Formats: sequence, structure tokens, C-alpha cells
Amino acid sequence: MSITRRRALQLGGAAAVLAFTGGIARAGDNGGEILRQWYKVVLMLVRHTATYSPPVASRAFAYLGVAAYQAVASGSTSLVSLAGQLNGLKALPPRDPSKRYSDAVIAHCVMASAVKTFFGNTGPTGQRVMAAAEKKLKGDALQGLPDGVIAASLAYGETLQAAIIGWSQDDGGAVIENMGFPMDYPVSKEPGHWAPTSPIRMQQFPLLPKWGQNRTFAMPSGASCGLPPPPLYSEDPNSDFVKQAKEVYDVTTHLTPEQIAIARFWSDDPMLSFTPPGHWIAIAHDLLEQENAGLDKSAEVMMRLGVAMADGFIGCWNAKFRYDYVRPVTVIKKLIDAKWEPLLITPPFPEYPSGHSTGSGAAAAVLTAIYGENFAFTDRSHARDGLGERKFPSFAAAAEEAGISRMYGGIHFRPAIEQGLVQGRCIAQFAIGLRTRSST
Amino acid sequence: MRTFAIASATLLISARAALAGGGPVVPSFVEETKTSGIASVYSGEWQYMVGGGAAAFDCNDDGFEDVLIAGGGKPATFYLNKSTHGGALKFEKHTSGLEFDAMTGAYPLDADGDGIMDVVALRVGENMLMKGKGNCQFARANEDWGFAGGDGWSTAYAATWENGNDWPTIAIGNYIDRTEELEPWGSCTPNVLQRPRDGGKGFAPPLELKPSYCPLSMLFTDWNNSGTPDLRMANDREYYEGGQEQMWQVRPGQPPKLYRKEDGWAYLRIWGMGLAGYDLDGDGFQEYAITSMADNKLQTLKEPPKDGSAPKPTYKDVAWPRGVTAHRPFMGTDLKPSTAWHIDFQDVNNDGLADLFIAKGNVSEMPDFAMKDPNNLLVQGKDGKFIEMADKAGVASTETSRGAALADFNLDGLVDLLVVNRNAPTQVWRNVTPAAGNWIEVKLRQPGGNVNAIGAMVEVKTPTGRQTREVVSGGGHVSGQSGWVHFGIGDAKQAEVRVRWPGEDWGKPMTLGANRFAVLDKTKAEAEAWTPNP
Repeated sequence: MSITRRRALQLGGAAAVLAFTGGIARAGDNGGEILRQWYKVVLMLVRHTATYSPPVASRAFAYLGVAAYQAVASGSTSLVSLAGQLNGLKALPPRDPSKRYSDAVIAHCVMASAVKTFFGNTGPTGQRVMAAAEKKLKGDALQGLPDGVIAASLAYGETLQAAIIGWSQDDGGAVIENMGFPMDYPVSKEPGHWAPTSPIRMQQFPLLPKWGQNRTFAMPSGASCGLPPPPLYSEDPNSDFVKQAKEVYDVTTHLTPEQIAIARFWSDDPMLSFTPPGHWIAIAHDLLEQENAGLDKSAEVMMRLGVAMADGFIGCWNAKFRYDYVRPVTVIKKLIDAKWEPLLITPPFPEYPSGHSTGSGAAAAVLTAIYGENFAFTDRSHARDGLGERKFPSFAAAAEEAGISRMYGGIHFRPAIEQGLVQGRCIAQFAIGLRTRSST
Repeated sequence: MRTFAIASATLLISARAALAGGGPVVPSFVEETKTSGIASVYSGEWQYMVGGGAAAFDCNDDGFEDVLIAGGGKPATFYLNKSTHGGALKFEKHTSGLEFDAMTGAYPLDADGDGIMDVVALRVGENMLMKGKGNCQFARANEDWGFAGGDGWSTAYAATWENGNDWPTIAIGNYIDRTEELEPWGSCTPNVLQRPRDGGKGFAPPLELKPSYCPLSMLFTDWNNSGTPDLRMANDREYYEGGQEQMWQVRPGQPPKLYRKEDGWAYLRIWGMGLAGYDLDGDGFQEYAITSMADNKLQTLKEPPKDGSAPKPTYKDVAWPRGVTAHRPFMGTDLKPSTAWHIDFQDVNNDGLADLFIAKGNVSEMPDFAMKDPNNLLVQGKDGKFIEMADKAGVASTETSRGAALADFNLDGLVDLLVVNRNAPTQVWRNVTPAAGNWIEVKLRQPGGNVNAIGAMVEVKTPTGRQTREVVSGGGHVSGQSGWVHFGIGDAKQAEVRVRWPGEDWGKPMTLGANRFAVLDKTKAEAEAWTPNP
């Protein structure tokens, strides 16, 4: 399906043209472009901020998306506030009806402030980038606007972002210490349970073991989309446990160039990429850029996507630490081939379910709800890393490839992939169900 | 010139050089920063967040190593070494012609082979190749020698003499494009290689070493004992896209060629910041230590050949079993992950086993990493494992350290320490280890352009073991040395010394007495004893 024939936002059922209360509509409104520029900055910061593992990144994407969405919704008669719909989000400060505002300036302001909050711990180069981006995008947003509109919009933007940041502080994910690795943790000695897989000292304990207990955004709790248990540990060659390990071994010892390319394309390693949730944000960013989407749609897409993936990682981590399942490298080295090495770096936390699968399942479900089934697209998000581009007939197909890439990479068994996708699709329904249009 | 050593795994530790419990001698240092005469601070804005190096070399033929210290946004400072033999460390500020601003680090290199040390100054902007004129004076030689200073943000250097050349081949590593405010990541400026000009003095135009991945250290090193060094790079993953650690095969008359997966080169992506080599297991192949953030690597060949065949450049990480991960502060209350920079192997207690110094310091107010990050002095025990002794030795500075020089500044046979800090004074420590073992120190001389025999291997044998050091120019973190090659020899009263001169086989052994300096001249059958002035 081409971009020109796609549906407008399905979920709200409203036309893309929004009515603004007290807002200033300019010809060639650049709010959507400014928001996307901020997301481009955010994607770089995710890659280059040391605490930004996939769960942490997903959380930031959710709050940034909500902030951007509320920047528009606060002045719209057709968009509905998320207050009362998202867990813990109470009524947000309203605009002053006697004043005139610019949605683009408010969106810029909330993004600039929120980015500084969520990435305040980035390095000196990131700090420099944030300052340069704020200066440039502020100039773009303010261009041609009356002083009174600018002043009111900036002031409201600061008020709104303060409320959003305040909401974020007690969700359980605001403070990341030691790059997310606990200083102590009771690692199980029982077979079939997670064991450290890296020679890196800080990774002898698993990443973010309490993340699954964080406050969720749209779904009731981290356990809302629970999964069946993975195969029980067994050393019986005919057991499901050994069979799944043998499958990984067989596949990875006969990888085709295409399978290697797929594994690398979806590897999305922290610190070396914008992480799995960032990968989907990058896909959405490019789609919005291609259609030159306005601020309202850009914000809503990023909000739904961010909320779905953040809930996805909470749900995934909830299950990971419930089952505390062993990684393929541990099993294969013990039972099949002591010299076997996976293509990808094994992530330092339990195996089941696959985080990329849950996150991708959630992301694909949201984007499918917005853009439709069988929406073909080209993913160029890793072009600068020399990984080329990949074409997909649908978001679901992309998610399935993201999932199976983890088997090609040798870091997940099949059940973790398949159940991860199921879990992601389940969790996404809560984000898809958020009411954004007053007409529905 | 810095030196890397190879210690035999069978080296026995003398009773004198060991603690009663069997552990290594605890080194002892006295900080003499305030009385040393050195008052230098590496500082500056964003473009000086990396760098902060020092070059240690003798510029006035008194045998004592003088020091150039980069100043970042401020001019570099040069100090004459006024220490006396075995005395306190004393330096005197001296106007040398090297006092450039925007300097990130520097390395000594006698590029023109006239026996007077020249200096390569790495800068944010144009790099300088400064010709030594004698008596610690230097003059710009970029134009005379065809040295391409460029206009990059230079953060790494290495040099070698390719076989048959009278002039060196110089590699310069460049960081990101400093003009990129909005998208600096992925903007690594190409690294360059300058080879000698055909048939004359100086250099041919530079070759770009692409792809370039923002190295913070480079080292020409003979990793496979082929007699021809290759170029290793420690690359900073913070800034490259699609990059990894690299090693270039550099062969005379041929374009540089990157080692690839098909050759056995293993994929590794870290915040590579410093590089040092040393054969710790006595198999004849060097291990390589690479500094990073939250973790440090010690690489050993995965499958070292036992039949004399050529190894594949496939390394595995043995930092943890060797005890050198140094991933977080070992003392204090700030236990966030560490940030590691300069790294060097030196035997600080003269027991015949190489020890490891690592300079630590936050990049710049990065709250997820330790702000009080003590430097490490990891002392090797006879079991091959390293034990942290920086606090006991008195060198556990928690300033924001960057580069360093480990050299025998007062010529008493003990390796002293100078550490360059960012936004804090450079610190100096004198090694006063009371129970240290015996030692020898040598300098190499040979005819031709490569007068200091960069690329040579020096072997020292005593009844208790064998050590070998590679004479290199590069590595560490923007810091280099050219001076006495130091060996601890434990209780031995003498040692048998031989040299594998660059491009040649091992020479005949010579016997040197313990606790002596000697000049090894390739043209002479015997070593020349040297004695420092009192």
C-alpha cells in the first residue's frame, strides 16, 4: 500500500485536520517537522547515553510521546487528554483561554525540556548536541510568531513538561544506577536458570531485575499479558528443552548470508545503536517524514508507539524474571558443543521471552492499527551503520523478522520469540485502546 | 618510544623480592608534585575532553628524561629534568619552541635520524612535527619534511620504520569532526599514514586509512613475531558507526590492508582509549591491554600456534582471570563504573614481572561514571594474576587523569610516575620501593635513520627467567617515551642481554652487571657502560 493511499489515523476515527482552541495556525506549520527533528536527536542520545538499555529507552520514548501528544491535545477540541487513561497521570495543567498559543512552540518546549531531563546524564558531546538542537529548533519554532504567543507558549510548555516529568518520577524507572546492573543479586545455581554469559564483570548480575515491577502506562500491570512457561530443563535429547537448543545450534551453524544480514540488521545493541525500541521509533520517524505529517499525527503516532513499547518491555521483564530462563549459549556449550559461539553478543539477562520480540510485536501492532494491514515499507534506519536497508510487506512481517533474528543471532530459543511476539501484540492493545479523539 | 616486555612464565621470584606471604613486593611511591617544579594543567572545553598527554625523552644528552606536557586550550609546557641521581624529582620550566596551544598529546621521535630527538605534537587543529635542534630547542619542520599537519582533532599516533627506509612511517589517528554540532556521531575524520618520500628526506603525501573509527590510541607492534609490525588501533565506539577495533597490515611498498574476519580478526566494539602490549604468558606472543569504560580488556591469542606457524589475529579476553578488569573504583565510596585512559606495562618493583598502570578519570561530569576514580597500579604476582596496589603504593590519585609517563626520572633503577590530569595539576611520584629487586637499563643505537631502533626486541636472561621488550613509538593515551629500557631482574647479579634489531635476527648475547646502565650499539660487540652524573 502506498503512502498516499494509507488510512488516516484509524483509532480516533477523526480527520487529520484538527481544530485548535486559541491556537495559531500558520501556513506551512512546521510543528511536525520540529517534533521529528527532536526525535532524531533523541535517537542519537539513546545510542550515546550509557544508561540507555532497551527498557530504559522504551520508557523515555513513552514519556516523550505523551509529552508531545499533550502539547497538542492541550489546545485541541478534538484530541482527548490522556489524563485518567494512563496509570498515575492526573489532570494536566490547562492552557489559559485568554491567551493565544502555538502548538509547535509548546511541542518544542516540552521536548527540549523533557529531553534535557531524560538525557541529563548523557556525556559532554550529547550535552553539546542538546544545546545546539534546542537553539536551532527553537529558532525554527518561533519564527514569525508574535512575542505574546511565544511567551505564552513557552511558559505553558514549561508548565506542561514539569507535570509530565513529575508524573514520571515515581514509576520505578527514573533512577538507573550502575548502568542498570545491580550491585548484588542472587543468581540461581539451578540448571535451566539464567547464568552470566559475559566476561564483563558488571554483567555477572542481570540487567534491571526489577523493571517488570515498574508502573505501566496503559496496561494494568507488568503481569497483564502473562505467558505460558518455557520448556522445562532437561538433558534428555528427546526433550523439548534440548530440541529447542539443538534447533538454535543447527540453525546457527549453517547460517546463510541472508540470515546473518537479518541478525545484524536487528541486533540493535545498546550503545552501538538506538536499541530495539529506538529501531521502531526510527521506522515511524521515517514514515512520518515521508508523508510530511503534521504535529498532531506525529505526536499521536509517537505516543502510541512509545506507550506500547514501554509497556511491552515492562511486561517482558516481568516474565523474564518470573521464569529466569537460561540462554542458549549456556545450554549449547554444556550439552551440545563447548566451542560454539553465537553470532550476536548474548544480552546479560534472562532469556524468556525475547525482549526484541515483545517490543517488536507491540510496535508492529500499533503501527498496523495506524497505517493498516499489509502496509509495505522500507527500513533504512541502519543505513549509516553500513547495514543497508530492508523491505517489508507489513509491520507484522518486520516484527517476525526481528523475532527470528534472535535465533539467527544465537541468543534466543524459538519459544521466546514466538511467545514474545504474542505478548507484544497483547500488550499493544492497551495502547491502541487509548482514546484520543473526542468523537469516539 | 615506549617499551613493552615479555616475561617468561617460568620466571621465579626471589625471596628478597617477595612478601613473606608469597605475594609481590608492595611498591612505594612518594608524591613530589609540589616540590618537583612541574606546574601544568591540561584543560579546555569540549574538544579537550580526550587527550592530555605527555612526552618523556632526553633532549640534552644528560641521560635524564625531560618532559613535554600538553595543555589543551592553554600552551603546552616543557620541563628540563634537573633531578640528581637517586634524588628527589626536580624539573625546571624551559622555553623549547614546543609551547603550542591546542595540544592533546605528544610523542618523541627522531624522524630525521640525526641523533637529536624530534617531537610529534598532536593537536586540535594542525599537528606539528618539530625538529630537535639540540639543547632542548625545537623548530617546525612540517614544510621541510612534507609532514601533513592536517586540521583534525588528533588523538592517536604511532610510528615505525618499514624495512629499508631511513625515514619513519607515521600514523595519525583522528577523532570526530569538531565542527559538527548537531550530528557529531559518525563523523570520524580519516586517519592518515605518512610514508617516507622516495629517494629523499621527509614524507610523501598522506594516505587515508579508511574506514576510520575515531581511535584514541595506535600502536605499531609485531604481534605475530613476523619481524614486521602491524598497526593496531583502539577505537572509541562512542563516535563511530559500523565500526570496531582495527588492525592494519602495513607492508613495505604495499597499500595498508585491514585485517578482516576472514583473516581471523574478531569483532570487538568498545570505548577503546588506550593500548599497550606485553607477553605475559611467555609464549612469545604479546598480550594487548585496551582501556575502555566500565571494563578493560586484556587480549591473548585464542589459538597461539605451538609449531612455529603464523598465528591468526584472533584474540580472547583474559582480563578477568588475570585480575585487570579495573572496571570500577577499588577504593572510596564512589563505586560507579570507571573510565580508563593511559595504560602501560612497567616493572615497578623490579621483581622481573611486568606490572600495569592505568590512568582513570571521568570524561566530563558524566554522572553514571565514577567522579572519584582512582588510578590503578596492578602488580603482577608469580601466578600471573595482578593485585591492586595503587593505594598501598601511594599513587591512587582520584584526580581526572588522562595521560602518563612511567620512566626512571632520577636514574635510580626504579620506574617513577608522572600523570597528566584534566583540570587539575599534573602529578609526579618518585618510586622509593625499599625492597625492590635489581635492575638494568639499556639504550639502543644503530646506524641509519632508525637510530633508536624502533621495532627492536630486547631480551634479558637471568638464572631465574627471561624477559623480552619491544621498543615501540606509540600507544598509551597520547603519551610516549623514549629513554632507558628498564628491566627488573630480581636477585640476579648480572643478566645476559641480546637484541633483535629491526628487520634482522637476534644478535649475540652480552653480559651486563646488575644495577647498571648500558648503551647497546649495533656496530659494537660490547655494551658501553654509562653512569649518570651525581
